[in-house]
Amino acid sequence: MRDRAATRALVLGLLALPFGVFAPFAIWSGARSLRRIRASHGEVRGATAAAGGLIAGAISLVTVVAGAAYWFLAS
Amino acid sequence: MIARAVIAAVIFVISVITYPGALLVSLATRITPPPTNIRGPAGALPWLHVVHPTGALPYIADEQGRMVIIHAATPASLLEFGGSPTNSIQPSDYADGRCPAQLPHSTYPPLCETDLDAMATLGFNAVRLPLSWSLLEPERGQFNATYVDRIAQIVDWARARQMYVIVDMHQNAYSHFVGTGPHVDLGSDSGAPQWATLTDGFPSQVYSNQRELNPAVLEATTSFWYDRNGIQDEYISAVARLAMRFRDDPAVAGFGVYNEPLLGWNLPPGFEDLLLFPFYRRVIDAITGAHDGLPCWSGFFMPAPCGYRDLGVDDTRHLFFLDTGLLREVTDFPTHLGLPLSSYPNVMLALHAYTHIYTVDSIVLRQKVKDATYPWGGYDQSYVTAVREARAMAAGLLVTEFSNNPADDDLILTSQLQEQEKYRLGYAFWPWKETGAGGWGAFNRDGCLLLSRDRLLARVYPRATADPGLTFHYDASSGAFTLSAGGRHGDAPTVVYVPAEVTGDVAGSGAVSLQTVASPDGSRLVTASPTGGPFTIAVAPATLDLRGCA
Repeated sequence: MRDRAATRALVLGLLALPFGVFAPFAIWSGARSLRRIRASHGEVRGATAAAGGLIAGAISLVTVVAGAAYWFLAS
Repeated sequence: MIARAVIAAVIFVISVITYPGALLVSLATRITPPPTNIRGPAGALPWLHVVHPTGALPYIADEQGRMVIIHAATPASLLEFGGSPTNSIQPSDYADGRCPAQLPHSTYPPLCETDLDAMATLGFNAVRLPLSWSLLEPERGQFNATYVDRIAQIVDWARARQMYVIVDMHQNAYSHFVGTGPHVDLGSDSGAPQWATLTDGFPSQVYSNQRELNPAVLEATTSFWYDRNGIQDEYISAVARLAMRFRDDPAVAGFGVYNEPLLGWNLPPGFEDLLLFPFYRRVIDAITGAHDGLPCWSGFFMPAPCGYRDLGVDDTRHLFFLDTGLLREVTDFPTHLGLPLSSYPNVMLALHAYTHIYTVDSIVLRQKVKDATYPWGGYDQSYVTAVREARAMAAGLLVTEFSNNPADDDLILTSQLQEQEKYRLGYAFWPWKETGAGGWGAFNRDGCLLLSRDRLLARVYPRATADPGLTFHYDASSGAFTLSAGGRHGDAPTVVYVPAEVTGDVAGSGAVSLQTVASPDGSRLVTASPTGGPFTIAVAPATLDLRGCA
């Protein structure tokens, strides 16, 4: 069985790269999905997609925070 | 394993072409050495450049390093609109003081040499000269040499009067080739030629009485941002052609790259950060050879990190005036991250200040100026945020458009001019002359200077100063002016312009030596040489000698 939240996390993560507003949702969704998959001891799949969404969300969040920090420091 | 590799590859590619890649390329420009600045040939005017003081807003400076404050008039006479005749672009029609009569049904009278005289008399020291891409490159790859000669003619007129020219690639609602339809007034649309207007069959219909809210306009604009059919490449090439023509001319202050950029179907902040400002970087790369973006293909969609090949112009002296996205005129605050975009130092953020005209209180809430509930920070909101935006982008700031219905001059024009003084910003007033109904020009339909515009625009201001921290204020009701600055002995002088309308005595106090020279037009030029320490220059209040019509 595949965890639907894993796919959702991946979609949100990819959307977060151009639209940073999705980043927290991608991280939250990916982290929850990964927890469920690990707890299922192999019954639930989708770890790759969940991790991908989590990573993409994290990259996006770091980018947004770094960009905003630069703006406040440089402006 | 394959799924992991595919997902990793997709994340990597999307990261590179969106914000993460854009951020890295932007930040890299801060540590990239700027292109070599080759000193230009001496001309009738000093070359301008942008100075980047530590911890302060960059500013335009002359060859002596003095901050230069630009006051420009904006004649719209070289634009091509739909549904209305275009003024002659034959330079011979304007030679030897000739001036063609205004064409019936045209909104903007022809620009003649006497207009430059009138601008100079009002104290303008620059001309922002809007152009239409549709006239510059009517057929793909074929540039209109007559049009460029006409531009050069106006540059010649300006140079003869010690005025700078900002050559401005203009557009309004992308193009007048978007097609007719309900509520569409092509007479207010200008910009791209027909071959670069890709509407994909979207209907041309205006919503909410805003010319930009038109599906055909939004689609054509989007086609440009995504470089469909290589039209953005053609545009960059057109700007490069202009730059090549004026490369060695210091009377051309620089180039306005794209007027009031519309989002198309895109959303902020991605529009500005991922499409607009990377496009500006590509134009600068092409003309200066800065090589800031990543080497990429051209001819179709170029993602944000993509730079552009050097088109061989090697112009490393002119300024680039980069308009904020059009949405900023509605919000009066930045609609994007505001990242640095180029290692090229001569970059100016171009602000259009239309508070209470195009801001949400007016176009959405339909409020009158005196009852407006937005912007919450008043007129200052747009300026204080624009200063921060420009600093973050390592750019100077110039107000390249502002104006209003003359009936609102006491409210809007007065407030805008006060803000510009507060932040020591130059400006370009829009438009010089406009004869259509509800015109915003400085003159009435009969060609007489409006009294309120004479009173407010013919103002005392410092044209150049070695003290970028100076403060000054002109009171247009009394003609009084005060300036406070400081300087070391031997610093280049501060130059203050006093128009003929202002009749009060000029006096200096503190560590300064004044020299006042009167011009034949009645204006005075005050040269204040610092002798070491703080000083003030004042013009006493006196009755204004206004020449305008009520």
